[in-house]
Amino acid sequence: MITLNQAHFRRRKIVNAVMLALCGVATLLAIIPLVWILVYVTQEGGRFLSVQFFTDLPTPVGVAGGGVLNAIVGSGIVIGIACLIAIPIGIIAAMYAAEHPNTPLGIAVRFGTDVLSGVPSIVMGIFAYTVIVLPQKHFSAWSGGFALAIIMTPIILRTTEEMLKLVPRNLREGSLALGASEWKTTLQVTLPAAINGVVTGIMLGVARVAGEAAPMIFTAFGNPFLSAELDQPIATLPHTIYVYAISPYKDWHDKAWTTAFVLIALVLGLNIAARVFTAWRLKKMGWR
Amino acid sequence: MLKSKIGLTVIMLSLVAVSVTACASATPAPQTTSAPVKVVEKVVTATPAAAPKAGAVLINGAGATFPFPLYSRWFYEYAFVDTAVRFNYQSIGSGGGIAQITAKTVDFGASDAILTADQYSKAPGIQMLPTVAGAIVPIYNLKGDDGKVITDTIKFSFTALADIYLGKIKKWNDPVLAQANPNFKLPAKDIIVVARSDGSGTTFAYTDYLSQVSAEWKDKVGQGTSVKWLTGLGGKGNEGVAGTVAQNDGAIGYVEFAYAKQNKLAYGSVQNKSGEYALPTVEAVQTAMADFGTNMSDKLALSIANAPGKNSWPIASYTYLLVYMDQTDCVKGKKVVEFIKWGLSDDGAKFAKELDYIPLPAAVRQAVLDKLNKVTCGGKPL
Repeated sequence: MITLNQAHFRRRKIVNAVMLALCGVATLLAIIPLVWILVYVTQEGGRFLSVQFFTDLPTPVGVAGGGVLNAIVGSGIVIGIACLIAIPIGIIAAMYAAEHPNTPLGIAVRFGTDVLSGVPSIVMGIFAYTVIVLPQKHFSAWSGGFALAIIMTPIILRTTEEMLKLVPRNLREGSLALGASEWKTTLQVTLPAAINGVVTGIMLGVARVAGEAAPMIFTAFGNPFLSAELDQPIATLPHTIYVYAISPYKDWHDKAWTTAFVLIALVLGLNIAARVFTAWRLKKMGWR
Repeated sequence: MLKSKIGLTVIMLSLVAVSVTACASATPAPQTTSAPVKVVEKVVTATPAAAPKAGAVLINGAGATFPFPLYSRWFYEYAFVDTAVRFNYQSIGSGGGIAQITAKTVDFGASDAILTADQYSKAPGIQMLPTVAGAIVPIYNLKGDDGKVITDTIKFSFTALADIYLGKIKKWNDPVLAQANPNFKLPAKDIIVVARSDGSGTTFAYTDYLSQVSAEWKDKVGQGTSVKWLTGLGGKGNEGVAGTVAQNDGAIGYVEFAYAKQNKLAYGSVQNKSGEYALPTVEAVQTAMADFGTNMSDKLALSIANAPGKNSWPIASYTYLLVYMDQTDCVKGKKVVEFIKWGLSDDGAKFAKELDYIPLPAAVRQAVLDKLNKVTCGGKPL
């Protein structure tokens, strides 16, 4: 009887060890592409990095130097427009969906965002092209920001909603019991409690759209010159990578890598900055 | 809580603000002179600000990928010539260029392909204006029986390329190819045919050539920016074709000459209409253009494939800008016309040669200039 038990126990230990090892391998496999991409892009793109790359405008083939200042500024503007549209809509809609999950509108919102987040980004580009570019008869930073906003909204909405739902019910009830109105409870109790997750959602959204080249082709269009005019074509980093990468010239291929490096660094930097900011914010507010 | 939300918004806004300030401070000093000396100096020092003064007119164009390196160079240099205008050209492909100028979302279009009757009718008043010409070359990747890559220039007899793309010549040691290349031994390998999978002006010119040398090709496949290939693999863009060829021993594909040259790809010699084996040199394409002269329609569109001259390269084509003969914006219209005249001048031709494009013959250039002088704005001369 005892031996049987021991054998059983040993078997369980072996299974445990095997499964743990499998988990470890799977985790490693999941990390490899990330590390690989980071290392490779740094290797290929880091070599040609210089101050000029951040401060200069692009040069054509055969002219030395040149940078992607126009695309860095352009990406900032287009993403800024997208944030201004997507963040308020995403968060406010998420509040509604989290507070009233079983109302017809709540269900519709959730279903709608699920469908929307599955739509390929190029379709968003064509949509923005059809509703903004065609009637206006010119490409613009606006249309690019609009296309990105539609891609961002479902990401922000869904993460915010999940985060709001995670906030303990007692907290909400406590607030209501103390006489706070429902909107005050949501805005001043529930949302601050979930703010870390909400910021993560926004950062996910920004990171996702910052790398979108496809919807930019027919909206922001691209522009080799520095432009801050919202109703004119504008350059973006991913679109610049695309244009450089399909060219026949080694010089431009190198620039594509460097631009890719800059894009990854900026997204990563923005991500870290937002996390540091939230941590600081929460500490100051006494939440942590 | 409201504060923290405001804080968030502040991050986003400051992001935008920083960008905007960056632009403002980077606004370049106005260029006062447009003397050529200045241009040279600019090029040598590679000053960042290719840069137009604030408030310059922005003219947008889109289309063919093939002339993109040249056009981007032209527009870069032209910003020094005329500081009151900026040209923004995006290479979205010939098909895209035609579609956008038809929808009037851009001020000018560009295409390697000649517009079809249907496309003309959808964009009434559209005019094709040839700017430069380019050659298309067959590229290959083939290891000999000794395992070494064949670096000799393989000769393709008159209908050889058509027969390969028709799937009639299947092996590299086919008698047709062996006979044309007596100086070295071609291996008994299958030919892997590679073609462009996307719509492309390069394909238009290549299938134009194939249709002219082979009645069977014309009958079965025909000519177009994208055709129904009978055999082989597909690659997107020049780089896709070149990549697929590079990865497959025994592969053959076609790319623009500038692409093959820049990437040091092995390209073949092709037998032209007069029976001579030609190489894709500047002179060979110029001869091909001269063979056809100015025998062009009112739209200035002309195929230069399968040129009859003794020294002519048979697979070549013009690339065109697309503009409306009657402009709606007089300022932009005038600037576009001025620019094209500059591009066709010796100043513009210099950059074309530098980048392996072939400038127009004098007679064709004159035809384009004559046409440009007839461009109007709202019915009135510019």
